[in-house]
Amino acid sequence: MIRLENVSKVYKGSVVALRDISTDIQKEEFVFLVGSSGSGKSTFIKMLLKEEEPSEGTIYVAGKDIGQLPRWRVPYLRRNIGCVFQDFKLLANKTVRENVAFALEVIGRPKNIISQRVPAIIELVGLTDKLNSMPHELSGGEQQRVCIARAMVNRPPILLADEPTGNLDPSTSADIMNLLERLNESGTTVLIATHDHAVVDRSRKRVIELDGGKLVRDQVRGVYGIG
Amino acid sequence: MALRVNYFVDETVSNLRRNVLLTLAAVSTVSISLLLLGVVMVGGEVLTKMVSSWEGKVELNVFLRDEATPEEVKALGSQANGMPEVEKVFFESKEQAFEEYKRMFKDSPAITENVDPNALPASYRIKLKDPNSAEAVASRLQGQPGVDEVQFGGEAMKRLLKFTGVVRTILVIAIILTLGAAILLIANTIRLGIYARRKEIGIMKLVGATNWFIRVPFIFEGTVQAALGALLASALIYAGKVFGLDRMQDAILFLPLTVSSGSIIRMFFTLLAIGIVIGVFGSSLALRRFLEV
Ligand SMILES: Nc1ncnc2c1ncn2[C@@H]1O[C@H](COP(=O)(O)OP(=O)(O)O)[C@@H](O)[C@H]1O
Ligand SMILES: [Mg+2]
Repeated sequence: MIRLENVSKVYKGSVVALRDISTDIQKEEFVFLVGSSGSGKSTFIKMLLKEEEPSEGTIYVAGKDIGQLPRWRVPYLRRNIGCVFQDFKLLANKTVRENVAFALEVIGRPKNIISQRVPAIIELVGLTDKLNSMPHELSGGEQQRVCIARAMVNRPPILLADEPTGNLDPSTSADIMNLLERLNESGTTVLIATHDHAVVDRSRKRVIELDGGKLVRDQVRGVYGIG
Repeated sequence: MALRVNYFVDETVSNLRRNVLLTLAAVSTVSISLLLLGVVMVGGEVLTKMVSSWEGKVELNVFLRDEATPEEVKALGSQANGMPEVEKVFFESKEQAFEEYKRMFKDSPAITENVDPNALPASYRIKLKDPNSAEAVASRLQGQPGVDEVQFGGEAMKRLLKFTGVVRTILVIAIILTLGAAILLIANTIRLGIYARRKEIGIMKLVGATNWFIRVPFIFEGTVQAALGALLASALIYAGKVFGLDRMQDAILFLPLTVSSGSIIRMFFTLLAIGIVIGVFGSSLALRRFLEV
């Protein structure tokens, strides 16, 4: 579903964020991408969305080389990838309901589907009482949950999450992980970038570890630290 | 597609409502720019009318010899009528000339009493399509059989025409300048508005929106703002006509200082079209940079 072949990323100013990464994530897999801050996790995710281009190497999503994708096709790639951004990226002048609905409006879903699916997914992330709040009226954890709802609402085949539990307390964080695991069980390929040890250790899923931009570990039933 | 139109309209309305300050700034900039342009356009129309009415008074007088034969007179009339520069030819007989003379001096019978009705010559009065051709037409008619003298305004008229020519040139320059200023001001306001929302545009793209999906509400917004601006500008100009020009017109009767409501309506549509064109092109251009995510 996601394949990287010898991918490197050098940012302007010669910061090497990723070095010669090759890996393969199968359809319906659940994978953690771990590593300390600055190890290149966000860069990895941004390249899958074509928010950043690799400096070298090839990235395949659903069998297609996304480096060859014409500009106008990029939105269609992104519609197949739900993404929980590290900085949330909520639309500041839209309510919670409208932010989540936006992902469906973009793909032209009819109004009745939108008005039915949006409250349901918001209930799933536990924000029903904030339906009509603006993002600036929410706590970090609440904004994160809106972002998760938006990423899931159009049932994409791939879900990427960049530190999805970064702003959540342990119990909410466990709820969110359960949600993502259920999503995975229903057939979605899930990739989670995190440095949250507890979350990784509890799930016992495949772990890919980055260190200084290099892939240093790829373990089938891993924990956060080597062990 | 019907669904999309629905979304675009909702989106436009809520953006206008939620960015009230930006909307107000945009509408007032548009209306001030268009007001300037509108005032120059209306002022131009008033001046053009005034200038044309002066120019319209320019006539050639071809005085005929008393001994000219009716054939000569007729031939001269048809020659003048056949000239491409000539709009209209009036014949004034000796009797009509005398009547006119009496009418002009009706308050001073002493002057008219001593004049022989036959002393005044018959003449052709010639109205020209373009008063600038007066000299050329005059020199062609001068010396034709039966012609005694051809009179046209001469120096005074040349000066008048030079003046009206300058007025027209200044008007064209003023319209170009105000139009240019309006384009710059409106385009800049649009650019600022879009700049303020560049983050939003980037997010929409990351969630999978196509460029058109993002562009259309901006273009709708620009159109609504342009329309409101044009409406406001036209309303102010209309108020200026009713409370300013029309009252002045009552005071200064001899100057044709009128603007018809029809021409204000025409101006409204012109301003509306200009505003919308700038709005659509300006927002498309300004968006281009931020859509490359
Ligand atoms: N836009 C950028 N320009 C330059 N350097 C960047 C940029 N984004 C990230 N980096 C650098 O690349 C490295 C990896 O960053 P990132 O992928 O955000 O790591 P992580 O998400 O694991 O914390 C860091 O050294 C960071 O400073
Ligand atoms: Mg990161």
